[in-house]
Amino acid sequence: MISCHKLSRLFNSVTAVEDLSFEIPEGKLFALLGPNGAGKTTTIRLLLGLIAPTSGGARVAGYELGHDKRANSSIRAVCGLLTESPGFYERMSAWDNLLFFARLYGIPESQIGGRVERYLRFMELWDRRADPVGTFSRGMKQKLAVIRAIFHEPKVIFMDEPTAGLDPEASVTVREMILKLKAQGRTIVVCTHNLDEAQRLADLVGILKQRLLVCDTLAGLQSGSGGSARVEIELRDALPRHRQIIRAISAVKSVECATNTMLADVVHPRENVPQIVRALVNSGAEIIKVHAQTDSLETIYLRCIHGGSVQR
Amino acid sequence: MRILFLFLAKELRDIWRNKQVLPAYFLLPVIAVGISVLFTLILPGIVQAKKKDPGMDIIVRIVQTLPDFAGMPLQEGITRYFLRNLAGFFLLMPVALSSFAAAFSIVGEKQQRTLEPILATPITDRQFLMAKLVASITPAIALTWLAGLAAAVMVDFISWERYGYLLLPDRFWLVGLLALAPVMGIASVLATMHFSARMTDPQAANQFTGLVIIPIFLLIVGLFGRTLTLSFVFLWSACLVVLLLDVVLFRFILRKFQREEILTRWK
Repeated sequence: MISCHKLSRLFNSVTAVEDLSFEIPEGKLFALLGPNGAGKTTTIRLLLGLIAPTSGGARVAGYELGHDKRANSSIRAVCGLLTESPGFYERMSAWDNLLFFARLYGIPESQIGGRVERYLRFMELWDRRADPVGTFSRGMKQKLAVIRAIFHEPKVIFMDEPTAGLDPEASVTVREMILKLKAQGRTIVVCTHNLDEAQRLADLVGILKQRLLVCDTLAGLQSGSGGSARVEIELRDALPRHRQIIRAISAVKSVECATNTMLADVVHPRENVPQIVRALVNSGAEIIKVHAQTDSLETIYLRCIHGGSVQR
Repeated sequence: MRILFLFLAKELRDIWRNKQVLPAYFLLPVIAVGISVLFTLILPGIVQAKKKDPGMDIIVRIVQTLPDFAGMPLQEGITRYFLRNLAGFFLLMPVALSSFAAAFSIVGEKQQRTLEPILATPITDRQFLMAKLVASITPAIALTWLAGLAAAVMVDFISWERYGYLLLPDRFWLVGLLALAPVMGIASVLATMHFSARMTDPQAANQFTGLVIIPIFLLIVGLFGRTLTLSFVFLWSACLVVLLLDVVLFRFILRKFQREEILTRWK
């Protein structure tokens, strides 16, 4: 649904994003993580055709991104955008604001009322529909902005910090809406600082710092990409030779023993844990339990951003 | 067309709900109508009373040299002359009335953080700029025409008994109000919008309009106003020239309008 090839953007001599290459299949949720100024918002703007790339290209919902304004307009017609700040006309009511944007998106007049009502009810804003948006809290405006991003039923939805500034209850409502959209087969790109949220929602995770440092599934990030895991192995009767057997395997960086449990730091656990298990079984050990304590997304994120300086 | 009406309806709702802006829209038209009525009421009496005054003599000589008024009774000729000159006031009305909306047209959207959500819709640059132009200029033109109509009705109501026929509208007044005033208003809105897209602060955009754009138009009307009230050919030519200027300005603004510059330059 989205594919980027060496997408780059410079502002004068400053590199905003460089050599972005990734693919997001239809119906998947891609969490784009990165520190402030990493280029997340620029990436969204590039993919929406709001700004032009300096080099490279992308294809969004079947349309080639480019300098052709008509193609970019077609991309925007099938995409939704939740901006970082939920801007609305403060003197206008929530209902009038949504009607205004619904008409800009070209939603048929016969469907506008029904759709706006459905989403306002889901977001629990129906009772406040006639109130000026200026009287709304930050969270209410954010919910309204979520409605604006999705009510034209786009194929691709870009969300910049969807739950920023929301109270826990409102965050849950927005997350439920995102999961519902994902279940409907929509492709979603979420830029967030909330790693817990990314871990809960994302099919794919990308960590950006001008360049895309990693891009994989969460499981893929935890098991590979230079990652390691602490593997807990419980034996019926652990003997010193079992420890030596494990230590002899090159993928094992260290081993600690506590009665019948051994804790081993293993590089690329998905590939190497079976080798450890095989070696132990061949030596006559009886294995009760093997459990890989994988890195949290936070650990992976910090390691990527700081170039591997973070310890688990 | 649907998008033009959409932005226009929003603008009208916004003006109506903004209690600080609404009176400003009506002040100038009320003054214009008031001055027209005042001239009609007091000029015949002044002309009668100051017939022998040297100052009046100069005005009488000017009016009598003009072919349109030369054969008329003195009181009627002078009243008509002053009413026609007042058309300059109506010419500037769309420029002044649209200045606030035009100044805020783009920088205001940015300030409210509604610009990016709008630009993220399928709307094209041409549609957006055209919609902003229509939204800014239509209320100003509508109020100018309403003021012109009100002035004509009141002037004729007052003067009918004295002269037995209508003083307004005369052909200069009609062309000025219906053709030249709108095209001049459009030119000022387009010029203001161009700067509004480049400003980072709504206050600066508003000040720029008040201190640069409006004075320029005042100067133009000041320089050419008298000729505009005397030569019908010149009046029509001015309409065509300003219309051409509108087309050129719109194409220029469209070419210079860069979404990414607006989105990325401002924070």
